[in-house]
Amino acid sequence: MRLKKFSLILISALLLCFVLFNQTFGQVSNIVSAVRIGDAKEKMPLSISAELFAGENISGINVVYRPFGETEFKKMEMMIAGNTASVILPAAVVQPPYLEYYLSISLRNGSMQTYPSDIDKGVSPLQVAVSALSSKDREIIILSPNDGETSSLSETLISISFIRAPDKIDIPKTKIYLNDQDVSALELIAGDLIMISGDNLAGKVPLGAKSLKIEVYDKSGNLYHTLTRSFQMVSEEVALAVASRFKMNGNINGETRNENFNSAGTMYSNISADFNGSYDQWTFNGYAYLTSEEKNNLQPYNRFSASVQAGDWLQLKVGDSYPRFPNLIMDGKRVRGFSGTLNFGVFNFQTAYGEVTRDVEGTIIQKYSAGNVPLGSNIIKINDINTPYASVDLGTFSRQIFSARPSFGRGENFQFGLSYLHSKDDPGSIKYGAKPQENITVGTDLMFALDDQNILFTSQAAISVLNKDISGGSLTDAQIDSVFGPNGYFDVDPADVKQIRDIIGKFITVNQNLGPWNPQEFSSLAAEAALSLNYFGNNLHASYIYRGNDYQSFGQSFLRTDVKGINFVDRIRLADNKLFISFGYENLQDNLQKTKPTTTTFQTLSTSVSYFPRMNFPNVTVGFNRYENSNGLSLADSSRNRNALNTINDVTSRFLIQLSYDFNYHVKHSASLSFTTSDRSDESIANLDSKFNSGSFTLNSFWNQQLTSLIGLVYSSSSIAAIPFDYVTLTAGARYKLLHNKLLLSATLSPSFGDFKRQVFEFTADYNLLSNFNLVFQARIYRIPDASTNSIVGLSARLSI
Amino acid sequence: MRAKIILMLLVLLVSLTFASDRNLPGGDETPVAQVKKIIKNVEFRDRTESEWLPAKVSTPLYDGGQVKTDAKSVAVILFTDGSGLLRVRENSILNVYAEIKNRKMNKNTYIDRGSVSFDVKKQEDEEFKFTTPTAVASIRGTSGLFDVVDNGESTMILETGSVELETKTGKKVSLTAGYTASFDRQGNANVVPSSEEDKKKLAQGKSLTTKKVIIKTKFGDVEVEYFPDENK
Repeated sequence: MRLKKFSLILISALLLCFVLFNQTFGQVSNIVSAVRIGDAKEKMPLSISAELFAGENISGINVVYRPFGETEFKKMEMMIAGNTASVILPAAVVQPPYLEYYLSISLRNGSMQTYPSDIDKGVSPLQVAVSALSSKDREIIILSPNDGETSSLSETLISISFIRAPDKIDIPKTKIYLNDQDVSALELIAGDLIMISGDNLAGKVPLGAKSLKIEVYDKSGNLYHTLTRSFQMVSEEVALAVASRFKMNGNINGETRNENFNSAGTMYSNISADFNGSYDQWTFNGYAYLTSEEKNNLQPYNRFSASVQAGDWLQLKVGDSYPRFPNLIMDGKRVRGFSGTLNFGVFNFQTAYGEVTRDVEGTIIQKYSAGNVPLGSNIIKINDINTPYASVDLGTFSRQIFSARPSFGRGENFQFGLSYLHSKDDPGSIKYGAKPQENITVGTDLMFALDDQNILFTSQAAISVLNKDISGGSLTDAQIDSVFGPNGYFDVDPADVKQIRDIIGKFITVNQNLGPWNPQEFSSLAAEAALSLNYFGNNLHASYIYRGNDYQSFGQSFLRTDVKGINFVDRIRLADNKLFISFGYENLQDNLQKTKPTTTTFQTLSTSVSYFPRMNFPNVTVGFNRYENSNGLSLADSSRNRNALNTINDVTSRFLIQLSYDFNYHVKHSASLSFTTSDRSDESIANLDSKFNSGSFTLNSFWNQQLTSLIGLVYSSSSIAAIPFDYVTLTAGARYKLLHNKLLLSATLSPSFGDFKRQVFEFTADYNLLSNFNLVFQARIYRIPDASTNSIVGLSARLSI
Repeated sequence: MRAKIILMLLVLLVSLTFASDRNLPGGDETPVAQVKKIIKNVEFRDRTESEWLPAKVSTPLYDGGQVKTDAKSVAVILFTDGSGLLRVRENSILNVYAEIKNRKMNKNTYIDRGSVSFDVKKQEDEEFKFTTPTAVASIRGTSGLFDVVDNGESTMILETGSVELETKTGKKVSLTAGYTASFDRQGNANVVPSSEEDKKKLAQGKSLTTKKVIIKTKFGDVEVEYFPDENK
């Protein structure tokens, strides 16, 4: 067996020599130093956080992601707090075998960056393998404690059931650890049940927060599965207080840090506080984040909110929130105001009202007299007799939004909803701005399910109306009389036009800037329908989308429009969930309203095979994607056809392999290895042919209760438009606990070599000064040889109440 | 002499076997349920013919086991296949039956009298049944409360999911979330939307809040933990 283990390690090492590696860090960027991603498990929310430097240059960050088998990327705004931007992707999009994502960064100078860079030129997005729900999690069940449970010593019960475990499991060999203290000797075994009662722990394990770790072994002595859970053992008095009807807790964090970037030093400070309380079915939450980065000439950086929730039936929130309506209407947009839901089952109501954009005043660049005013999109009329015009750096209007959705049905087997959204810029909110806008969107959605949602049908449709400039207000009677009528431009009775204006004007400003002008072509219609079938180990999902080129909802900034087509994904589970085969095909087309010279077809073919063995072999995912975009033109026809210069004809093929393996060799190790290669052939006039290879290897080793280490290697080799760019990043780091686990020290060194040269050193000391008070010192140094040395040094404090 | 010693040892061994603490798990038989939490006085027994013993946290319940709660007492029972939990409210008697076969467990609980609040996970191809003197409920994945009064009449208040019910006369009733079904002794069923009182009962059925009184005596402090009056 040892030989077998050694062989596997040797194979991994050999692969290391030949294959290129990748994890989420080590990409080239002068904005993002590292991206950390949580444990990606099927249908579990996934956290993504980006460590930033040069934060003063950033105005916003979005994570752009797409699940397996889809062409369309979706966006979510990341919350920036201190030098970290974070977001939690909703559980619904976290699906095996993997998820692709990149970061879209808006800089304060108006430009955009991506991480990894050059995504638009064919560089592969990052991938995170999403593990299917392990059948082992269903085989071995922690009956007690529940995750996060608080109990007194006498009420503590650790109970593990092996009723569903295979026969090869050696139940008595199971190891149970509490905060790395082996308590296996206290186990009592009854058939397929292992338990430790609190009485047995008395005097042997101190009270406090406990991390429960259970290691399950097979009859050959190999580690079969590891389960973890967190809970708290407290005194009888505290347990009673916890069990009382009113509970509360909170945290206060304060941070100050100094960033030295290209010899410019900037000091940042922020403080955040959160509070959670509950009384019976009522829960209360409060959150505030105040930062020195808050500026009047920028969108808000501060965040605050307070919410109350009563069971499943009531939720109210004031302050900053991200209400989620059907995604065609509103999703992922921050609203500063009020949002709430009432769920009565048969009838439900959801609403949101508040500001989505804060007014930011523009600035005058140059004033002009009426005689010499030039043309330009930033030329506006100002209140000045001698120079009534000016070119300005345009400001941003304050934008309010109101959305409401009544719905019928609980959503388990049926739900029908109607949505309404109205959003309007306040033209008087700033002096120097142009073209305030107004938007209305109405929609409907329907879901019904049969057989415990094994058959699930969902659909939604919405139409939008947009006024692109409401600065002049609605048309006046005189304006209508001058344009309509027998002597006007349109031979339509002005009275009819006025009547229509008065009716529509109750909802939106009516003037010549109101659109769409071609509603009969469904230009402002968006609709989609999807059918999911879940039978015989197959999860089949087929959908159709249609989004007209003029569809726009101010509650949803990230929707791709002017596209229609089908998407088909099948995920097949085989061999008792050990083998996972996925297949996806998508065919989309643009130019729905014939607003472009040609129609482009976007085709995506995605396949992958994942193998999740239960022991003695790494988890493996192998995937292949092919993206083909074509508008039917060819550069070869450019002599005969002028449009040929607009040729879109590119094919990208991408192959990836990912391996992960937990094994014991003297101590426990967790290794991952991945490799991605993509090749883009671009037959357009830009000729952005590209090749991209990247790979990574990481090895986490758990030496003892105090020491863990990390070794990593990243290799990247790319060629865009025949310009090569190759680099290697090594990472070595360790975490060490000392002073009775009160002090945690961690340090990481990451030098990069090749076309990208950089040395990064990070050091963190986290000291648990009091039981509820931590002080954290963090230092990060980035050295670019022959160029600059930048640093971030910060001190933060965390108090739990 | 030697024979006497062997006989004495055998008697001792047999006595020890029968005298062992049944609160302590052990042996090859797998419990079908386990006591997770106790408030005040809860008793259990392995089979109906055996004597009642005080239950404690971790007490295993085997096929045919019973749990009995006194006034102001509650027992929280976990099924060992992780399929859910039952809160046996005060003055109740619950019988637990289960069959483990091919890593699957079919469960049936019989409520003699009293109230049982339940929170059961979705069942794939296993059975989870509640039986009362007047009805049988087949559960897939749901939460609610089953109440049996002394004359055998029973009421089921469903909070989530759906349940197939069968009266003792064979009449089948489908119950969905937000509705209450009541069964009389003749086997007649009546389904109505859950009233505010029903919803209050549901909330009380889930409550595990206790109060503790410390009585100071000259012999030392006496702690009394009790379940507050549900009707207040």
